[in-house]
Amino acid sequence: MTPLTFLYAAAAAWGAAALLGLLTARVPAGLMACCALSALGGAAAAAGGGWSLVYGDTPVVSPGGATVVGGPLQLQATSLAGVFTALLGVVAVAIACYAPRYHTPSRGTSLYLAAYNVALVACLAVLAAGGMVTFLIAWETMSLACYLLILRHPRAEPVARGAFWFLALSEAGFLLVVAAFVILSSKTGFTTLAGIAGHAGSVPGGWRAAAFLLALIGFGFKAGLVPLHVWLPEAHPVAPADGSAFLSGVVVKLGIYGIALFAFRLAPPAGTWPGLVTMGAGAVTAAIGILYAMAERDIKRFLAFSTIENAGIIVTAFGAAMIFHAYRLQTLWAFLLIAGIYHVANHGCYKTLLFLEAGVTEHATGTRDMDRLGGLIHRMPRSAVIAFAGTLGIAALPPLNGFVSEWLIFQGLFQGFRTGSHLTGILIVLAAATLGLTGGLAIYAFVRGFGIPYLGMPRTRQAAAATEKGQPILGPGLLAVVCVALAVGAPIVLAALARAVRTVTGVTLGPLLLPGKLTVIPAHTDFAAFSPTYLAVFLVCALAVPGLIYLAGRPRARSVSVPVWDGGMVSFRPRMQYSAMTFSAPTRVTFDALYRPSVSVTRPSDDDPAGRSGPVHYEAQVTPVFQRYLYRPFVRCLEWLADLVRPIQSGDVNLYLLYVFAVILLAYFLGAV
Amino acid sequence: MTPEELRETVARQFGRSLHIRTLDTGSCAVCEQEIRLLAAPHYDLHRLGFFFTPAPRHADLLLVTGPMIRAFAAAASKTYEAMPGPKVVVATGACALGGVYPSDPFTHGTVDAVLPVDVWIPGCPPSPLALLQGLGVAVGRLAERVRDLPFTAPDHPERTRGDS
Amino acid sequence: MTLWFLRGLRRGVVTTRYPARPDGSAEHLPTPPAFHPQALTRHVADDLVALCPSGALRRDDDTLLYDVGKCTACGRCAAEAPDVATPSGEFELAATDRSVLIKRIPLQGGSR
Repeated sequence: MTPLTFLYAAAAAWGAAALLGLLTARVPAGLMACCALSALGGAAAAAGGGWSLVYGDTPVVSPGGATVVGGPLQLQATSLAGVFTALLGVVAVAIACYAPRYHTPSRGTSLYLAAYNVALVACLAVLAAGGMVTFLIAWETMSLACYLLILRHPRAEPVARGAFWFLALSEAGFLLVVAAFVILSSKTGFTTLAGIAGHAGSVPGGWRAAAFLLALIGFGFKAGLVPLHVWLPEAHPVAPADGSAFLSGVVVKLGIYGIALFAFRLAPPAGTWPGLVTMGAGAVTAAIGILYAMAERDIKRFLAFSTIENAGIIVTAFGAAMIFHAYRLQTLWAFLLIAGIYHVANHGCYKTLLFLEAGVTEHATGTRDMDRLGGLIHRMPRSAVIAFAGTLGIAALPPLNGFVSEWLIFQGLFQGFRTGSHLTGILIVLAAATLGLTGGLAIYAFVRGFGIPYLGMPRTRQAAAATEKGQPILGPGLLAVVCVALAVGAPIVLAALARAVRTVTGVTLGPLLLPGKLTVIPAHTDFAAFSPTYLAVFLVCALAVPGLIYLAGRPRARSVSVPVWDGGMVSFRPRMQYSAMTFSAPTRVTFDALYRPSVSVTRPSDDDPAGRSGPVHYEAQVTPVFQRYLYRPFVRCLEWLADLVRPIQSGDVNLYLLYVFAVILLAYFLGAV
Repeated sequence: MTPEELRETVARQFGRSLHIRTLDTGSCAVCEQEIRLLAAPHYDLHRLGFFFTPAPRHADLLLVTGPMIRAFAAAASKTYEAMPGPKVVVATGACALGGVYPSDPFTHGTVDAVLPVDVWIPGCPPSPLALLQGLGVAVGRLAERVRDLPFTAPDHPERTRGDS
Repeated sequence: MTLWFLRGLRRGVVTTRYPARPDGSAEHLPTPPAFHPQALTRHVADDLVALCPSGALRRDDDTLLYDVGKCTACGRCAAEAPDVATPSGEFELAATDRSVLIKRIPLQGGSR
């Protein structure tokens, strides 16, 4: 009995759920049954993933001699993949609790659920892949299944465009990943991941670096590294809420898993520059991600850019880990790997939660535009509280889990001086500073992301009429509980992660990470210390102190309740509030060079000779720099090449006969030679 | 609470420090200029322990000018309710006391129509000295004098110095 | 800065000592009138009542009801009948009871 058993069970449950969903999700009972099976599979996957953290790597197995195209099906449950598998399971359970109330039973839903469960199986296969071929086939299956997932409502043009961006960039990444794998397997002579990892040292340094770079870019397409990220803001808004949650919570993490796989197991590159490149890419991604998030009104696009930001943070941690490894600082290497993986788990939880809540909001009010919402905390209090838990987590505020993992990453980065090299130290500090900027902007962005829709007054009638009745609560609520548990129980989680990382890196952190039962230190005893559990308990108790003071010193005199002093205003209009774009105006003005907004203002008095006033029309658009200056020229280049080649396919039958004749001649000559 | 009790409460609870919130309910702003002069070096309100504050929540005394126009009545009530007790309302200026616009359809005519007034300070505008005397009366540090002034000549009393 | 400081030292303290000591500037203030009852006939009283722009004067039989609170010290009654109304010189007029500000001036008998 190994963790792999649980993963088999999960795959079986999800496969059955896919079939059941395809056949019966047109009726409510079928929908419920499909989701129940999906939840069971999720539980099994979570258990298997959690167990494999402490179990270590299972041997590579080929279940029942099964084969896939090109070779045997090879599976292995590794501890590096353990966190990702556990996250997959938890997200699957949450989405399974969420889906019955979110989707209406119909033919579209049955196709969607089938594609979703196939995607779950494919993700699991990617994480449990023991061989190169299995990995690649599972990866491609996952991409195709997610493509179908996004196309839930295929008739709308934005949906088709978003799904197309996803697929195109997935395939581009896949190409590069195949190339990376081919390099490694041809140089080591193995096709099992364990074999490649074991013989990674025999690959010449240049080839290893090349494979790593190809993997970084190839998996970077999926992970959302800038400038490979453009599919995220296109695909996330148009997918159904649980589809977006799945994409951000799991699929993006698979890209990160791929990068970690190549960086720590398969092709750990020699030299510092790969680590520097990775760290730089991560830092730039984080900053650009959150800056673009500030300019978004659509809640889901905003969350998509925030996913890009967090992916950048994780990749920065991995890059810094690689740098420390190059300088033989193995404890910091292992520590930053733990920090990065912990952030993966945390971000998976609260990003999924936020996307699910965005879906609840969209269904309750009919809009995703923040500027049409407001005051939802009064209409949907429980959803607002759950969304607040997610917001606290993603803004990295104590005592929740985002704070703990970002603290760990920062503490790792702050120890860059231990490398002894001035240049490297400065670059690591620059990365830390960029992450600091990102953290500050993230708090700003999420004050906006939570405050504008949930607080204040409703800006439209739809927002004022929102109701929580019939909306899913259990799924997001479960994730909120998991977030709190990950924060308060951080020492336990970190202990398990330390065991997992020991299998990958061979470094035992033990007392260098958790000296006491509940305190965490960043791999060195003389640097910093912090206890997430005590912090959480302390904050809760601190909140009780004002209450106690009030109870003890309650005023004896008669007290009167009067409304809050608001300047004596007699009527508030919703338009007196901040809007989403005015709240972020300081950032947009400061970073004007990045956004390059195109602004058009028309006043009626421009045309009217008498200069009469009337409504002023103001329109500002953020320029999509990557699409315009990177992708479109590239696509035009491809189109030009295609134009060059087009004359071959002229439609002229005589020319085609000439081709046939020429090939036959060629075959004769080659056969004769 | 009778005026005497109020005086005594105010003297006991406010001691020698008082925060004043001024409220303009539609005056011509000359009363406001006189009030503003109080903080200037010549009259120097702060030496007596009085301070201005914009926040009703921090205020002890509401100094109201103007004839209480109808459009402002709701805001004036909200300001008064936002002040924590004990609080004193002082109406100052002929407008606030019912003169000048007694029958204007857009005003209530007198501050008394909306707020419960404790001290009245006549004048148009009341000079800073009159305001100082009124504030002193409001906190119970100065004695009222107008009760004993008959406003008949030639036997109205000589102008005497104020009490401390 | 030094000149300002020295000038200030030469001028001395400008802050008034009021209410501990009387303030000299009070002498120039316009103040509500005081009425001379001997010269105040009904006829004069009615004239003054009609004249007051602030509605501070009202005649009630043989008494002139004079609301000091409503008076704006405009001086019209003093200009119209200088032997009846003269500036009172009183400016310390704060009252806790509104009715205290309504003075009853007895009229001279007869309607000349």
